[in-house]
This record gives sequence, C-alpha cells and structure tokens, in this order.
Amino acid sequence: MTTPIISADGLTKRFGDFTAVDRLHLTVQPGTIFAFLGANGSGKSTTIRMLIGLLRPTAGSILVDGIDVIRNPRRVRDHIGYMGQKVSLYQGLSLRENVEFYAGLFGLSGTPLEKRWGALRERFALSEAEGEKSEDLPAGIRQRAGLALSTLHQPRLLFLDEPTAGVDVHSRALFWEVIQEEADAGVTVFVTTHFLEETDYCDWVSFIDAGRVIADAAPEALRRQYSDGYEVALDLPPEGRGRAAPALAAAGGAVGTSAGGLRVRVPALEPGFLAALEGVAAAQPQAQIHITQPPMTDIFRRVLASAAGAGT
Amino acid sequence: MIRLRGLTKRYGTRCALADVSLTLEAGEIVGIVGPDGAGKTTLIRSLAGLLELEAEEATVLGYDLRADVTSLKTQIGYVPQAFSLQRDLSVMENLRFTARLHRLPASELATRAAQLLARTGLTPFRDRPAGALSGGMKQKLAVANALLTQPKLLLLDEPTAGVDVVARGEIWALLEEQRRNALVLISTSYLDEAAASDRLVYLDGGRIVATGTPAELRATVSLELYRGWGDDPRLIARAARQLPYVEAARATGRFARVEVRAAHSPGAAQVVRALMALPGAGVRFAESTPIDMETTLLALARANGRKEAQRSP
Repeated sequence: MTTPIISADGLTKRFGDFTAVDRLHLTVQPGTIFAFLGANGSGKSTTIRMLIGLLRPTAGSILVDGIDVIRNPRRVRDHIGYMGQKVSLYQGLSLRENVEFYAGLFGLSGTPLEKRWGALRERFALSEAEGEKSEDLPAGIRQRAGLALSTLHQPRLLFLDEPTAGVDVHSRALFWEVIQEEADAGVTVFVTTHFLEETDYCDWVSFIDAGRVIADAAPEALRRQYSDGYEVALDLPPEGRGRAAPALAAAGGAVGTSAGGLRVRVPALEPGFLAALEGVAAAQPQAQIHITQPPMTDIFRRVLASAAGAGT
Repeated sequence: MIRLRGLTKRYGTRCALADVSLTLEAGEIVGIVGPDGAGKTTLIRSLAGLLELEAEEATVLGYDLRADVTSLKTQIGYVPQAFSLQRDLSVMENLRFTARLHRLPASELATRAAQLLARTGLTPFRDRPAGALSGGMKQKLAVANALLTQPKLLLLDEPTAGVDVVARGEIWALLEEQRRNALVLISTSYLDEAAASDRLVYLDGGRIVATGTPAELRATVSLELYRGWGDDPRLIARAARQLPYVEAARATGRFARVEVRAAHSPGAAQVVRALMALPGAGVRFAESTPIDMETTLLALARANGRKEAQRSP
C-alpha cells in the first residue's frame, strides 16, 4: 500500500461549546480524486481549513505530503493549490495581471512563467479572457481561471472547495475534464461539491456529518451498500426471455418479469454480469437493454439516514 | 399571470435581455436555465419590478412593469441570489418583520410561521440569528420568508446554489406545494431540478432560445446518447473520440457517455457494435440510452455557439 498523501487522525475542532469536527479520521491516496461530501454545516470547510494549515485543530494530527501541518502550517502551502467557493481574483486587475501577481508569490517569472501559463491558458481555454478585468468574467470562466491559478506552481495536491457552485453545466463539464487530466498526470485532488452526480468523476468518496466521517468508500462500493442496486430493463420477445433469464441469474441478477420482458436487479455491475448482458444482446440483436444507475442523491440521503439511525 | 412581448433590458450599450416574449400561467414550476451570463437574473429581477425596461407588453399579475409597481411588489415572493434577510435578527424575528411589512395578522403569522418552520426543519433554530445559520438553513429561511404571505407569484434566483441535497429536497417539496395556487419561477443549475420542472425557459445571450416541458426540450436535441461500460471509462472515452461520428465522449463512474450527432449516426446497432469493438478500451457492454437533462442542456449551449469569453456577465 502506498503512503497516503493526506492523513488526519483524531482531528477535532471546538469553537467554545460547539464541536465542529469530532475525532475525524481521513486518508487520501496520492493521484486520486477524493470527494469530501456533507450537508451544509457538517464541518467540511472547517476540516479543509485545518488540512491546509489555516486553522489550528483543538486536537489530533495531520500529515500532508509528509509535512506535519500543525507544526509547520506555512510549509504545507508550497505543496498545495487551493481554490475556495469564491475565487480570489483581484478586482480591477485583468486576468493576466492576476496571473503575474500570483506567480510572483511563488517566485515564478520570465520564461518559466510564460511557459507554464501558456500551457494552462491553452488547457483551460482562457486565451480570450486574458485581457478582461476579473470582475467582468462570467462565473464559469472565473472558476476555470481560479483553478488555473491554483495550479501555477505545479502543486502535487489540489484542494477545491465547491469549485463548481453556481457554474453552468457546460463549464462544469469542462472543469471536470481538466480535473481528470490533472489526476491522470499524478496530481491528487481533494474536492467538495453539492452536485452529487460529480462524485462519479471521483475515485473515492468520504461523507461527513456533524464533524464525523459516516461513510468512506469508492462510489461503486457506496452504491452497493446504500442503494437497491442497478436496475436493468430488457425488452425482449417472449421466446428470448427464457434463455436470457437463467444466464442473468447465474451472473448474480435478481430476475423478474415486466410488461416488455425482464427486469433485473443487481447490486453492482461486475464484469461477469456485463458479460452476461452482452451475451443476451449478441444472441438477440432486437433486444432493447437499458441500465438505470442508482443516483448519488439517493445514496447521500441513505447515508445520512443510516448515520442518524445509528445515533452517531 | 405573466405576459411579456418584446421585453428588452439594456445596461448602457449591452443588451442583457433582448426581445423576450413569454406567457406563463399559474399552476406550474417554471425552471429558468441557461449558461452563466445568459440573463436569468435580469429576467427574474425584471419580473419582480426591480428594473426599468423597454417592451411592447410587460404585465405581471395584471400590473404593467413599466408603470408604478408598488402594489405588485406586495403580491410576489422574491428570493434574490445573495442572502438578503436581516443577519442580526433571529429566524422568527425575520418572519415577524416580513409579516408586519405585509400587515399580516399576528394569528396568521403564528400559524404560517409554525407550518413553514416545521416543513423546513428550522423550528429548533427559531431563535438563532439568521447570520449564524448554515448555508442551507439560510436558503430555507429565505424561501420560507418568501412563502409567508402565500404570494401568487414566486420568483427564486438560484435559491439552492451551494445547498445540500437534503435541504434542496425540503425546499423543492415546499415549491411543489405552492404550485397548486401559484406560479413558481426558479433559476437553477442543478440538472435534477431542471428535470423536475413542469416547464423550462432556456436563455442564452439574453434571448429565449427554447421553451417547453423537459420532454419537449429533450426532443429538440439532435444527438444520440450511448454508454460504454468497462473497467476504465477514461480509456473508453478516449478511444470513442476516435470514431468519426462521435461528437463528444466523457468518463463518469463506471461508463463513458458518448454523444453521436444524429445526422451522422450509422444507426444505434452499429454504434453499439463499434463501441464494443473499440481496440484496447475494454468495453464490456454498450447501450443506447435516452437523452438526459445534461445532454439536453449541453446540446442547447453548443447549438447556440457560445462565445462565452467575449461576453460580459
């Protein structure tokens, strides 16, 4: 097993009588996209502020990229990029001037800056926006600019706190393409979002409620645990149903009938089940097959309900 | 309830709304959708009587938006994008303040407030200052406050942005209840909320580009949608982009979503076979799937040739 790039143990933050984060345990593997989810007021932002050294925990330990964040809160900042819900672009300055300002903070200038910014400008589709004053940029472009700026110094780890809040669907799609490219290039991405369908772009999901982790798994594992599974509708002629049903049942499906043919429930789409489906499709080309995936919104609700039921 | 013809709103030389014509009646939740900077907020603010505008016709609840709108404002519930209740006042004090502005009798305030706070889960927080509520609770309070006087028209500007799914569900349930007696207009960037609206108004560049039920808007999309399931959806998406008729492909969860322009499509059966045969992509199963809200909105955005970088917000 690789050494985690983030590990927090017993992390606790109290504000007076109120415990915002309560003995939180968290590990993030390098090169993954890690979704950190929770209801409003669950302790997400407080946790992030502690992880990046902006807020001192009441108790617990944090290691980020090998650095003890509690002892060296400033040192961690060279290793990470951060983008908050409100992108920090200076108003009155153009995007280009903002770039120069932020580059200066990281000691980046001249040819290395031109090279790095040139590449980012291209990838984030920001060329046309470069001369615009930051306050004139539409939300989607401002978010992309914020992400580009947070990666100027090529950090190994990106913290993105609701980067897509209030951003339209087109910009969100572009944004996630870029995030996936970053992850493919080895960058670890720690991200929060209320667009739950975005968790399917992530490798790992951690749910937090009342300052504690209540679920921590890959998206597919959460689907398996907190939903009734996938539903597959097969529109088949009567003679085809008899052949398809046993094959799908043998591959793990709970097979029932429907008006048009078969309706199958399966906890996860294992390779064996997909192969059985493909077998049905190949043998009966006229078959209409449609897979319905349990939506993450339902899973989020179930995770919260089960935590409430367990009295945590 | 709303009749607009040729409504235009200019800020200096910039046209935030151009020649907007729209007729809406009570009994519906109407979702206002479109890219950032499309004019969604300007449209909602116009309908709330907050802007001076040009139009051939512009009436809301029978009031002319170009004349005195003081009476109109007493009859609508409006939730602006930024939280605008009194942060220093408690939850209950905010509701009482609104009730007094509208001369709501004390007994009615007590009944309505109790109902609304219970429905939004805010009863235990009735004495907490609004400024100390979490983001989701603030928005629930803002919506409850707008509903206090049971207005005939509700105008909500992204009330659920940054709000968690449970709180969004509570807000949406309240809106569905209001629909019986009122017209609810809501701008949103959530796909599930757009899909749950009775009618959608799609704006781009200050113009209404499409209106209709979600199903009607889906039917305008000239794309086919496919899913390729396998162990490495990013690999599948990359390989699928090499097919000549593929418009776009993106990995999400266990599958790659693959869009094919209908005019170039060789037919669903052949696309499915081609996806199964993608070399080295490890596609285990491929299917044709109905157009969803994400594809619908992306297709509308593309069809309107967005030149976002050149546009001011």
